Amino acid sequence: MNVVSRGIKNALRSPMRSGAIVLMLAISIGLILSMLVARSSVNAKITEVKSSAGTSVTISPAGVHGFDGGGDPLTAAQITTIKDTAHVSSIVATLSDQLTTSDTSLTPSLELGLFGARQQRSSTDSTSSTDSNAAAPADSSSTETTTTRQAPTPKTTVTGTTDQNSVSTDGSDLVLSSGSSIDGSSSDLVALVGTSLATKNSLKVGSTFTAYDKTITVKGIFKTGNTFADSGLIMPLATVQTLTDQSGAVNSVIAKVDSSDNVSSTVTTLKSSLGDKADITSQVEQAAASVSSLESISSLALAGVVGATIAGSVIVLLAMVMIVRERRREIGVIKAIGGSNVKVIGQFVSEALTLTIIGAIVGLSLGIVVSGPMTSSLVSNQSSTATTQAGPGAGGPGRMFKGGMSQLSSNITQVTGSLTPQVFAAAVGITLIISIIGSAVPAWFIARIRPGEVLRTE
Amino acid sequence: MLVVKNLTKSFNSAGGEVHALKDVNMTINTGEFASIIGKSGSGKSTLLSMLGALDVPTSGSIQVDDIDIAKLSAAKQTAYRAKKIGFVFQHYNLIPNLTALENVMLALEFGGMPASKRKARAQELLTEVGLDEDEQLRKPTRLSGGQQQRVSIARALANKPAIVLADEPTGNLDSETGKKIFDLLHSLTRSENVTIIAVTHDMDIAGKTDRTFRLKDGQIVIEK
Ligand SMILES: Nc1ncnc2c1ncn2[C@@H]1O[C@H](COP(=O)(O)OP(=O)(O)OP(=O)(O)O)[C@@H](O)[C@H]1O
Ligand SMILES: [Mg+2]
Repeated sequence: MNVVSRGIKNALRSPMRSGAIVLMLAISIGLILSMLVARSSVNAKITEVKSSAGTSVTISPAGVHGFDGGGDPLTAAQITTIKDTAHVSSIVATLSDQLTTSDTSLTPSLELGLFGARQQRSSTDSTSSTDSNAAAPADSSSTETTTTRQAPTPKTTVTGTTDQNSVSTDGSDLVLSSGSSIDGSSSDLVALVGTSLATKNSLKVGSTFTAYDKTITVKGIFKTGNTFADSGLIMPLATVQTLTDQSGAVNSVIAKVDSSDNVSSTVTTLKSSLGDKADITSQVEQAAASVSSLESISSLALAGVVGATIAGSVIVLLAMVMIVRERRREIGVIKAIGGSNVKVIGQFVSEALTLTIIGAIVGLSLGIVVSGPMTSSLVSNQSSTATTQAGPGAGGPGRMFKGGMSQLSSNITQVTGSLTPQVFAAAVGITLIISIIGSAVPAWFIARIRPGEVLRTE
Repeated sequence: MLVVKNLTKSFNSAGGEVHALKDVNMTINTGEFASIIGKSGSGKSTLLSMLGALDVPTSGSIQVDDIDIAKLSAAKQTAYRAKKIGFVFQHYNLIPNLTALENVMLALEFGGMPASKRKARAQELLTEVGLDEDEQLRKPTRLSGGQQQRVSIARALANKPAIVLADEPTGNLDSETGKKIFDLLHSLTRSENVTIIAVTHDMDIAGKTDRTFRLKDGQIVIEK
């Protein structure tokens, strides 16, 4: 029989009351664990989303979204401005164009589905009307008069870029299945051909094809895994600018910022220097917007942890204060027969610890069972918000990037509550804090009980 | 030897200062059985709590074998209570959650006896005060008042104290049982040469002790 075993024995002294205390405590601790699990899982997701967002900022002409919308291409002066902005470490400029069968010898490899056909038709119509308004060449208007409901034809996308890797859809370098890279800063009549387009037209490294009435040499075949990208062409930026008669113009600039901390300030600087001429989006901003609902879940869970910790501490504290008051005389007797304050307090702390440990075992098991479903339900309740808050995709090659982002935001609802050893340790640590808080005040009461009180008759 | 000099104790209560003890002087030799009598409120329990270092005097000194216990630090007073003093209370004051045996072992623990030796010593003490093996394993609620007081006497004697302080040890018992308990205390302490100071209302008992002090309004009025 020592201090600890007396404490344990006392904890089981009145089973009904101890049971009630343990139950309340178990609920608090179960809640603490599930909230910690929810928080850490959601936080892990937030970090994952944020870290998967690169440090790039996409600048496209105002109003342009891919090949849709209006607006003037970005000028060489604007590109210089972007390049000279603080924290911008490098820029990749692209100018995209679409080649119809009349512009090139290539057969498009994209099959037009129902959706594509509809898109293509409307864009053809709008092109025709713009052409006629702008006093287009005679043959163009005659085409329009002869075929009012022209069958939609697929087009081949050509991307003029200073860096071929910007076409890669997954953020890594562009994979060439054969051939070699092209120099993005040159103005050579060379191209990298998407694997689908190459197969369709039986192109190999060294083959030639005609586009914009010029003979272009195939330098390499690339493969991205994205059907749209693999049906396109990549050429040096200057080449496309020359061929399409848009010297110095680009329709998308991707600026790399030196660190993710500087992205938002850089976006602000760019917005003020480019004014309303350009639409600027950054992955970091989009990621931040898409995770904001997760962040609110995370802070909700933190509030839950704090609340449950307070509740748990108060339960232990009140229980122990009640027990100490009830056993005032007993404490006086122990002191009178030579028990030191340390021993008496030790005995009560061990009693509080016993209750807390039993509560913790029950509560942690409870937490392990409910934390998974609880995390899922917390997150899925917010899922609709999460999707609507996913920001708009960027223009230009950002079409693919947009796809990536929406994939990202749909992932946001797939947070699985996973119980890591760290989270478990944190829950155990908090439980310990509860029993310390729950014992400290009673200990103070105990120390103040005078042994002389035992001689007072009740 | 116990020497009490100019001992006073005042309490600050709502109705003003209460002088529970006023200039008490007494000397009790080692091994003597002393009784303290007096009306309710005369200061008997207060005096006992000073002698047992349960409370500190307002002024004066209490010399136990040349050590002034009133001037000891709190930790030393605790050790003094554990080793040198045995208490017997009117209401027995056993720990309800512990068996008779464990109650005695608790005192042995505070007295510093190694854990391995406590059980045998506690059994020996309880047998000495007249509790059989079955009774030793019972909790206080399942023992009679007389049996409980026997356990508390065993507890008081556990660490071979120099002084046993008893506050109306027979106050809750019928006169026959009270007499038995008194005789038990008497015989045990005689054999161990322990000083006993007992507060009592029973004049029969008081008459049989070596010394009797009568307290009145916090002062010793008669010393026999
Ligand atoms: N803690 C205290 N606070 C205030 N007054 C006290 C305290 N303890 C004792 N007194 C007062 O001191 C006086 C002596 O009390 P004490 O308990 O010593 O009397 P007693 O002789 O033991 O009486 P009884 O025979 O009824 O037990 C009483 O007037 C009592 O009210
Ligand atoms: Mg009294």
